[in-house]
Amino acid sequence: MTIGTLASKQNRDGGWPYVRGSSWTEPTAYAVLALLAAGETEPAQRGLRWILATGRPDGGWPPQAGVDQSTWVTALVALLPPEQLGARAHARAIAWLLETTGRESTLTYRLREWLLGNPRPPEQEFPGWPWIPEAAAWVGPTSLAVLALDKEYRRRPSPAVRERIDSGRRFLLARMCREGGWNHGSVRALGYESFPYPETTGMALAALRGDRSPGTERGLAVARRFLEECRSADALNWLRLGLLAHGQLPAGYCHPLEIADRTLPDTSLGLLVAEAEKGRDFFLA
Amino acid sequence: MSRTLTRREWLAGSAGTALLTGCGEERPIVPSIVSIVRAPVYDQRIYETVRRMVEEHRLEVRGRHVVLKPNLVEFEPESSINTHPLLVHAALEAFRGIGAASVRIAEGPGHRRNTLDLADAAGYFRTVPRFEDIFVDLNLDDVTRVRPARQFSRLGALYLPNTALVADLLVSMPKMKTHHWTGATLAMKHLFGVVPGGIYGWPKNVLHWAGIDEAIADLHAAFPRQFAIVDGIVGMEGNGPIQGTPKPVGVLVAGRDGAAVDATCCRIMRIEPLKIVHLRLASGGESQITEQNIRQIGESLSAVATPFELIPEFQSLRMENS
Repeated sequence: MTIGTLASKQNRDGGWPYVRGSSWTEPTAYAVLALLAAGETEPAQRGLRWILATGRPDGGWPPQAGVDQSTWVTALVALLPPEQLGARAHARAIAWLLETTGRESTLTYRLREWLLGNPRPPEQEFPGWPWIPEAAAWVGPTSLAVLALDKEYRRRPSPAVRERIDSGRRFLLARMCREGGWNHGSVRALGYESFPYPETTGMALAALRGDRSPGTERGLAVARRFLEECRSADALNWLRLGLLAHGQLPAGYCHPLEIADRTLPDTSLGLLVAEAEKGRDFFLA
Repeated sequence: MSRTLTRREWLAGSAGTALLTGCGEERPIVPSIVSIVRAPVYDQRIYETVRRMVEEHRLEVRGRHVVLKPNLVEFEPESSINTHPLLVHAALEAFRGIGAASVRIAEGPGHRRNTLDLADAAGYFRTVPRFEDIFVDLNLDDVTRVRPARQFSRLGALYLPNTALVADLLVSMPKMKTHHWTGATLAMKHLFGVVPGGIYGWPKNVLHWAGIDEAIADLHAAFPRQFAIVDGIVGMEGNGPIQGTPKPVGVLVAGRDGAAVDATCCRIMRIEPLKIVHLRLASGGESQITEQNIRQIGESLSAVATPFELIPEFQSLRMENS
């Protein structure tokens, strides 16, 4: 799908659906990033207006207009350039991310567990981000929050942002599957090992840019294997971004033509990956 | 040995289901009807088997909108994780055959975000003609905030997908599986799949914090117009619902009352249904799901029962004399 087709799928309210129907924050944020990268400013501006109109008083964003809860999609809004989104809205999104942790990292929860005599599992040592407040932290939203904060740190360094990036990356390394790569969250459940998924492995590797630990190396090996086997556009996009972040995407890699985009975020992310492969990585600037 | 449903039994069962929905008052229990049908393998015979089974329950779907909700979990078509696409297509044909105005397939997987890729890998595109046109990803559907008729958890109101909410009949089509948190996952636990990941994430972790069993009971109450067809042709035992091992049982289990269907499945699996917390919650106590208060038609329990392997944490669920 071309950038023109993506623009043609814009809803009248300025947002984008996942496939068809109502506008959602995730497809709109990715579409705006892809359109801005392509220099298509008019539809991007309409998308930005939709995003600004749906922001919540707490500084975060809901997944869909009308939902009264800020969620993980705030990280996607924070990836938008502040000069396009507006400095105030962007700063509030960053602040929301800095204040948000998984429920297992909250003082209330930790106090309760301490009173009950429950030892803290090693993987809960570092706070990550939940899909939705009041729930536990998971690999997907933590990866996206780290990516948004890392982009912010490159633009405007601050100790608070640095601290959450570092703890988020430690969270990810602590959640790596034994064979390498990442599942959604737990390394094991009831003593059984979790196995890695391609999409979460790609996301975590993208968030671990610059990390040279043995764990990341094992994750990269798993990602290279997934790149050969995987049949999902969404997963392939994230695998390419994850490998690119470490300079490990095989030279001359071509996205298999027979693998169809299923959703508009697949299309937007595919266009952004193509830009990143040319050296214009939307996670960096 | 099998038996069919008389008109008197069907009327009694239907009335019972209606009377027991959503009220806490004490009243006589009218047995729910649950059918057990043999289906040894996934082949073309399944179309006739499902057609007969659906007709036997005399569902009033002429001119109505039916939503089939299979279980799509992982990209492993050769495993017993997902509801088999041939069964779902057979149900689609059966509901069309009895006059449904529309039959859609809808699911919101709890682990993987790329739902259509998952459905493709599970064989749905190959098996169901124009699958993409009739499929709704419940994770990304438009939502309405609703408060279930009865509440057992602390969830309060929930955003739920409009496709499932407006359906005249929501057909829960789970696999017959053990589950490492709840003991068994059948028609009721299967409703976790209607909770939209687009709002609550992957997995739908708010349900876990609210209490898994209580959240299951909430969801059961939120969808009063249900029918269940459990895929027990090949189920899963051990560390289900993902890492378990295939368990051939060769049956389909169906009925309007999800709790009664699940209790029957548990008995087939040689799991004591009265020890499954969400079954006790949703059925308003034990009596509704005791064996004598379920009107079993088709195969007898004793003819098809086969013990499912249970992980050590759930050995206490095992029925006596299994």
